[in-house]
Amino acid sequence: MKQIQRLIACVLAGSVSFAGFMTSAQAALISTETVAASQGVPGVADARGKVYAALDRAEVMQALVARGVDPDHVRARVAALTDAEAAIVAAQIESAPAGGNDVLGVVLFVFVLLLITDILGFTKIFPFTRSVR
Amino acid sequence: MGCVAFVPAQTAGLRERVPAGLPVRSELAETPFFPQTEFHCGPAALASALGAVGVEVSPETLGAQIFVPARRGTLQAEMLAGARRHGAVAVLLPGELEALLREIAAGRPVVILQNLGLSFLPLWHYAVIVGYDLERGDVVLRSGTTRRALMSLRTFEHTWARSEHWAFVAVQPGQLPHTASEAAVTQALVAFERVATPAQALRGYEAASTRWPANLSLAIGRGNTLHANGAKEAAMQVFEAAARQHRSAAAWINLGSVALELGQHERADAAARDALAIGGEWTGQAHALRERVLAAARAVVR
Repeated sequence: MKQIQRLIACVLAGSVSFAGFMTSAQAALISTETVAASQGVPGVADARGKVYAALDRAEVMQALVARGVDPDHVRARVAALTDAEAAIVAAQIESAPAGGNDVLGVVLFVFVLLLITDILGFTKIFPFTRSVR
Repeated sequence: MGCVAFVPAQTAGLRERVPAGLPVRSELAETPFFPQTEFHCGPAALASALGAVGVEVSPETLGAQIFVPARRGTLQAEMLAGARRHGAVAVLLPGELEALLREIAAGRPVVILQNLGLSFLPLWHYAVIVGYDLERGDVVLRSGTTRRALMSLRTFEHTWARSEHWAFVAVQPGQLPHTASEAAVTQALVAFERVATPAQALRGYEAASTRWPANLSLAIGRGNTLHANGAKEAAMQVFEAAARQHRSAAAWINLGSVALELGQHERADAAARDALAIGGEWTGQAHALRERVLAAARAVVR
């Protein structure tokens, strides 16, 4: 399984960087994104540069597919992200807030909260808890 | 969590005095509502915001484009990207309650991320603010499966603060939010240009560079999108003005490139030399332009 993942990553990284090279060879105009980055506009460029941006995009594509996103859709999704956004998503895909409003999460939340208050001695809801002395 | 005030700071400020020019109450009753399906508050909120600016797309379609199944939710960056892909510019707002209220008063619903739980037990949720009432002290949200969910300003601020006051408006290209900063609009348009049609991107840059005429990035964006739309003479004018105004080698290089495309070799050569004279980080591209100009001149001679 890991070998397949590595193969997918290599193919994605290769095709992403190839596409980037093609674009820069044909487009003689300096892109707005490049100028904005040099002007210090936040949230545009990958702080570590263009090469890492390509790697971050490939990593995000792989990470999204691994998390259930349809592989046919993933390229278009990542293409819509700026380099900076791709870098952030690559780094924080597990930890970043993912708004969902999860009913089960509410139940779990209440359960854990009451467990804590039981342990702290503010409540006595569960028979199996022992409060801190 | 430290010392958390019962009445958070921004709400307290609003209670003290109503900001100048802000109506006491406002509600955008015509904002579309999409009751969310399981975990899909992101697509529902985005569909609502896009519908409000005339972009009709279903939460189901958006879900396939922005939802992350394993995370049971939508990431913030993908909310913005989702708006872009449907021709709307997603602009982040300042993290101030007053800014949100001003946008609503100006007719724009605002998408927000809030943590309905606690910092160590988060319940992340996207909703759309469509109204407020400073006298009653609450906001009106399109939230979850509730068309008009009332939440006190105090509670709203607590839950919104946990997302670091994250909020955005989706606007039609060419429209600008009232309260967004120059940097936020520039960021939004540069991101938009990645996926928008040249015509849409141009409308965005025209409006923004009119409001902020001293912004080099917006000028370059305008020039680049004029070029992408086939308006090459107009693009050259924009690049030349920006080059002179900012002493920008990048603008000279783009001017020279377009001039070369139109066969104006002398103008291209002059631009290349102007870029080289400035030097700096664009020296490589300036040299490359010079080479192309010389090659083109040689081709003509032959």
